[in-house]
Amino acid sequence: MGIRKAKSKPTSNGNRPRNGASSSKAKPNATNLRTYSIPDYRLEHPNFTVRQRIEKDRLGHEHVRYEVEGDLNAPVPPIRDSKYLDKKQCIEIYRWMLLNRKMEVALENLYKQGKVVGGVYFGLGQEACSCASAYALDEDDWFAPMIRNQGSLLVRGFAASDTMMQYMAKADSPTKGRDGTSHFGDIERRNMVSPISMLGDLIPVMAGVALGARLQGRNLAVMTYIGDGGQSTGVTYEGINFAAVQNLGLVLFVESNLWAYSTPSELQYRCKDLAERAIGYGIPGVIVDGTDACQVYDAAHEAVDRAHRGEGPTLIEAKMMRMKGHAIHDAASYVPKPMFEFWKKRDPIARFENYLVREKKWLTAKENEELIASVETEIEAERETAVNSPMPTPESAEGGVYCEDGCHEIKPKYGAPKVKKGTSTFKQTEAAVHLR
Amino acid sequence: MQLTYLEAIRQGIWEEMDRDPTVFCLGEDIGIYGGAFKVTDGFIDRFGAERVIDTPIAESAIVGAAFGASLTGMRPVAEFQFMDFIGCAFNQISNMVAKTHYLWGAPAPLVLRGPSGGYVHGGPFHSQNPEMWFVHNPGLKVICPATPYDAKGLIKAAIRDNNPCIFFEHKYLYRRIKGEVPAEDYVVPIGKANIAREGRDLSIITYAAMVHTALEAAEILKNDGIDLEILDLRTVSPLDREAIAQTVKKTNKVIILHEHSRTGGLAGEIAAIINEEAFDDLDGPVVRIAGLDSPVPFSPPQEHHYLPKVEDVVREARRLKAY
Repeated sequence: MGIRKAKSKPTSNGNRPRNGASSSKAKPNATNLRTYSIPDYRLEHPNFTVRQRIEKDRLGHEHVRYEVEGDLNAPVPPIRDSKYLDKKQCIEIYRWMLLNRKMEVALENLYKQGKVVGGVYFGLGQEACSCASAYALDEDDWFAPMIRNQGSLLVRGFAASDTMMQYMAKADSPTKGRDGTSHFGDIERRNMVSPISMLGDLIPVMAGVALGARLQGRNLAVMTYIGDGGQSTGVTYEGINFAAVQNLGLVLFVESNLWAYSTPSELQYRCKDLAERAIGYGIPGVIVDGTDACQVYDAAHEAVDRAHRGEGPTLIEAKMMRMKGHAIHDAASYVPKPMFEFWKKRDPIARFENYLVREKKWLTAKENEELIASVETEIEAERETAVNSPMPTPESAEGGVYCEDGCHEIKPKYGAPKVKKGTSTFKQTEAAVHLR
Repeated sequence: MQLTYLEAIRQGIWEEMDRDPTVFCLGEDIGIYGGAFKVTDGFIDRFGAERVIDTPIAESAIVGAAFGASLTGMRPVAEFQFMDFIGCAFNQISNMVAKTHYLWGAPAPLVLRGPSGGYVHGGPFHSQNPEMWFVHNPGLKVICPATPYDAKGLIKAAIRDNNPCIFFEHKYLYRRIKGEVPAEDYVVPIGKANIAREGRDLSIITYAAMVHTALEAAEILKNDGIDLEILDLRTVSPLDREAIAQTVKKTNKVIILHEHSRTGGLAGEIAAIINEEAFDDLDGPVVRIAGLDSPVPFSPPQEHHYLPKVEDVVREARRLKAY
């Protein structure tokens, strides 16, 4: 188990020299043997098929519905012991996951109180993936969340009130009311690129962050996420391929959460596992149970290490289910109920709690209760802060379209690139060209 | 020093890469081959493969990667082999790059550059002037130089600017025009128009290759006793509203000339600015000369018919003068 090491196994593109890759340690390999292994950390392999079926209602009218086939009664597997995490780290991740969930419960309540502008998006069932992945990053690494990775923001040091104020379109929100949800960023301290609503565009952007850092002498890990729906976009291919060709430290979590709004993964892609896509890019691919924080962390940690060694991108497919609708307005009535029941038993927080309290006994019942209470207290304080922020003034819609009047000083974040210059001087070109 | 339009751009980028280690180039076939039009010819030998990056044929990835690198304080210069292909990266430019400073306060100091324009029989996918796609995108600066001096001064200004700049090079001008370019370092300010020809009777507001079309027409019209003023916008976003108003106030009659299709074209916007700034100074209707409302056709007689010509300017100027 584990990610392929460049040393022992060749990459599928035969370890070509990397254009511009200053720190790649990949060595030319004598063999052209292709290795298509996809390490799979999971302790169970749920095997369902969702298909469309015509149902008749009591009046005899026909309706097209989704139905699920497969073993939905399998027992819940244990959490896989982490190769890297110690007790303290596991408890920290568990706390981030609790904070993630309680923040979303608070957001749901704020919505019901009419305080949210627009909808609320949830990462219910995906907290292990958001929190344990971001936990694997070093402080200098970069990340970009998608809409359901609100837990990643907390792990990276944003306050719950930041996200709450975004949803309430408040003046003190990170975008000062100009955008909502997790659409904000910070290139100074927390190294976060703001997502946009269009899916996949962040992938080449994160590759570019790694490229910029590498030109400044640093191999950084750049982590982002894409869903089983979002990975259908063309820019996803462009971005991963660019990172692969340039050997950039992209850590891409493909969150296979089974539903893209109302469309099941069967209508998004044909291959068995999205991790197989990695083969086509010539990069390592790995599968984890997205409801098992230890598996998520281990895969992320290894991918981040590869990135820091200058060995290029990794694609990690995390399998789980989106346990609510696309957004708060969507009751997800199109999801066959047995799927909810199956995945509810695999709730990432309940599983991790059981692991820490009952299996490992790293937390006593009392300590667990105290931890939960402390998270609730924190969320209540954050909620209070967020609610008390004023709405922005109408005039604050203006300005800031351009960076002007010295509002930013542009300088290389990791120091001036060390440039080597050739001996040639500027000469006018005489070459033949297209369309004279 | 006399330089072609292409050499002026080439020298501008070269000098910026020499001056500033955060400047680097990426694009298709720009390395050993030196680019389809040879704008980066010899760059890889001088600056190395790390700073002159041949990319996959993937325009969204090129723009995305340029943007990502700019977030770390680099100043990427991304080449489109033809500006027609910028459509492949439209979402990345419009929704990612252009909105970033307004929404979350991240500057994106990058340049997207490449050849645009017709008159070379490039056909519908190698002749377009897609600048209006970006004029309607707040957050971007759109630059369309007409002379070697401006091309060099503006590419340098674009590289040094803290905002995303889209730099449209006119491929018809690349090797057809030469001009004096000073040896010492200089920039041409973005957003400032230039009077390409002073005149009394009538103003032509235009930019890029059409400046030369207007200049040719001016020579013909001189014999009719019509003295054309030609305002070269140089930057189409942001527009130099003051220069537009001034020339209208001076000559009181105006023709707006551009190569791209008429409907939804820049002339409509400039006519609106004239209404707002100088309506009382007009002594005649604002006249538009533009490409047809169709794709740019391939066959030379068809392309000639599509594109604005010297005779169009001469005819419309005589008509407006007589109004």
